[in-house]
Amino acid sequence: MTGETGLGMVAADAAAIPLAARTRGLRKVYRGTVAVDHVDLDVPMGAVLGMLGPNGSGKTTTIRMLLGLVMPTAGEVELLGHRLPDGAAAALPEVGALVESPGFHSFLSGRENLLRLAAAEPHLHSGRIPAAVSESLERVGLTGAANRRYKGYSLGMKQRLGLAAALLVPRRFVILDEPTNGLDPAGTREVRSVIADLHAAGTTVLVSSHLLAEVEATCTHVAVLNQGTVVAQGELAELLDSGNAGLLITTPEITLAVDALRDNRIPARAVPDGVRADLTATTAPAVVETLVRAGVPVHEVRRDRTGLEDLFARLTEDGAAAEAAEFDLALPIPEEAR
Amino acid sequence: MTAMTLGEIQRPDARRAPLGRLLRSELRMVLRRPRTLILVGLLALVPVIAGIGIWIAADASANSGNSVDEGLAGLVDGNGLLLPVFALVIGLNMLLPLTGAMLAADALAGEAASGTMRTLLLAPVSRSRLLAVKAFGVATVTLFVVALMAFTGTIAGVILLGGDGMMTMSGTTLPLGEALGRILLTVLLVTVQVWALAAVALAVSAWTEHPLIVVVVALGVVILSGVLSAIPALDWLDPVLMTTSWMGIPEVIRDPLPTGTLTEGVLRAACYIVIGYSLALSRMLSRDG
Repeated sequence: MTGETGLGMVAADAAAIPLAARTRGLRKVYRGTVAVDHVDLDVPMGAVLGMLGPNGSGKTTTIRMLLGLVMPTAGEVELLGHRLPDGAAAALPEVGALVESPGFHSFLSGRENLLRLAAAEPHLHSGRIPAAVSESLERVGLTGAANRRYKGYSLGMKQRLGLAAALLVPRRFVILDEPTNGLDPAGTREVRSVIADLHAAGTTVLVSSHLLAEVEATCTHVAVLNQGTVVAQGELAELLDSGNAGLLITTPEITLAVDALRDNRIPARAVPDGVRADLTATTAPAVVETLVRAGVPVHEVRRDRTGLEDLFARLTEDGAAAEAAEFDLALPIPEEAR
Repeated sequence: MTAMTLGEIQRPDARRAPLGRLLRSELRMVLRRPRTLILVGLLALVPVIAGIGIWIAADASANSGNSVDEGLAGLVDGNGLLLPVFALVIGLNMLLPLTGAMLAADALAGEAASGTMRTLLLAPVSRSRLLAVKAFGVATVTLFVVALMAFTGTIAGVILLGGDGMMTMSGTTLPLGEALGRILLTVLLVTVQVWALAAVALAVSAWTEHPLIVVVVALGVVILSGVLSAIPALDWLDPVLMTTSWMGIPEVIRDPLPTGTLTEGVLRAACYIVIGYSLALSRMLSRDG
């Protein structure tokens, strides 16, 4: 869709940034139903990538293929530089994951469940297992319930235990699938702070969520999935800007401002307290210059950022493909990068 | 952070957890599962109950002047060291296959259903290694249950029915040492037969997420092969039926030992074990986690 030169630049950029995970042409067909198709996902090293998408958009299937749990029908997956499935043994010890609902034995306590998983962790020395388990329980606030049977755990406690399992040993890459499912507001905040801690420590995090506010608050990057394909991905700030670039100008002379802008072929319309100028075809300085020349008193100028919610709604609506085309200039949609 | 990370990771180059640690963890888990414990407890009681039954029947027949039943049960009266053999032969009819099927069902299908298989695969434990660990768990617990039945059977037999030797079906009496040897041999033979069924059950277990299906299929195999072997027109099928070996187990108390029949039974079981684990492995390598 976009020009050749633009694509070349994107490819060069992609090569420069080390990636924690990378998929190309990923496709999964379950009994004739295409769950995921043409997924080219880049997870930059050190990023917190929020994976967004409506139910059934292929988030979990993509994550399961990233982790080697499910064999792709076609396409390739690279995890921490290792090609799957052959590189799984090398990559997975450094990856912590909470996929779908946490899976534990109901007749064992939280601690016993973690001890069992710790026994299977290649990087954990046998002598350090009890300490690692205790620290992990402490980290998710489960110390008090550690010796209770998993059967009696609330949904939130189960989710916390799943998180504790993902963080049993220091990881380079943590994948959390709907980590705030079933958590109360305090639990949600804790997950957010765990993600912030991981990010601060340099760990790459991929978090799938349907809670947009969550993603907006914690993520540096976003990938939006719809109907099994990535419809947009990139840095969060960049995505929000590109979504609907506009400039909000606060001025008492609304009519004068709108006329001045339209005379200079800049689309503009009146909004409460001022004017909104469209930046698709121009830049912010040009808008301000036009206004000042026309003698419009400008009190305040700021970027009109689309909320993630608006962006998400537009990307995942029916006919999203046509909408997504708008983003091509600003967003490296990797399929075109080749 | 880097320094901290390096300090905490103690086996940074390891790609697999130590095998012994995995096996211990598996056994601990299986033996903590309430239904395993209940089944083990009940099976340990089977020889005791059988012993009490024979003891009462013997009492009653002594009073009325009639002899106890014919066959193995009749032989056990006053011949306590035969009780463990008798109990294991009864157990192999249904209870021990049920145990093997249940262990196999929990091992893969159960873990898949509860999502715990996924967490193990992510640790990571490779798929073939996971199957090996699971097979070890099933095999060890099976051996443990069979040995436990023999143990309680021997104790109950000696106390309730008495006897310091083992009277064989051939009419001779074996001394204590040799009698214990025969009991041990029975334990091994019965265990191998349960392993064979468990291997078939594990193959099914690798295919499904529903433990109940595994138990149903495994017991279906047992019942079907029992029925087939009972039809004279289908005698030609006998060499491939699992139950043929099971029916040969009582031969263990003949004197001299009919090694041919017993070896054939073990070889037949070995075939089922190889087939079962091959199918289980091929499915494990491709199944979705």
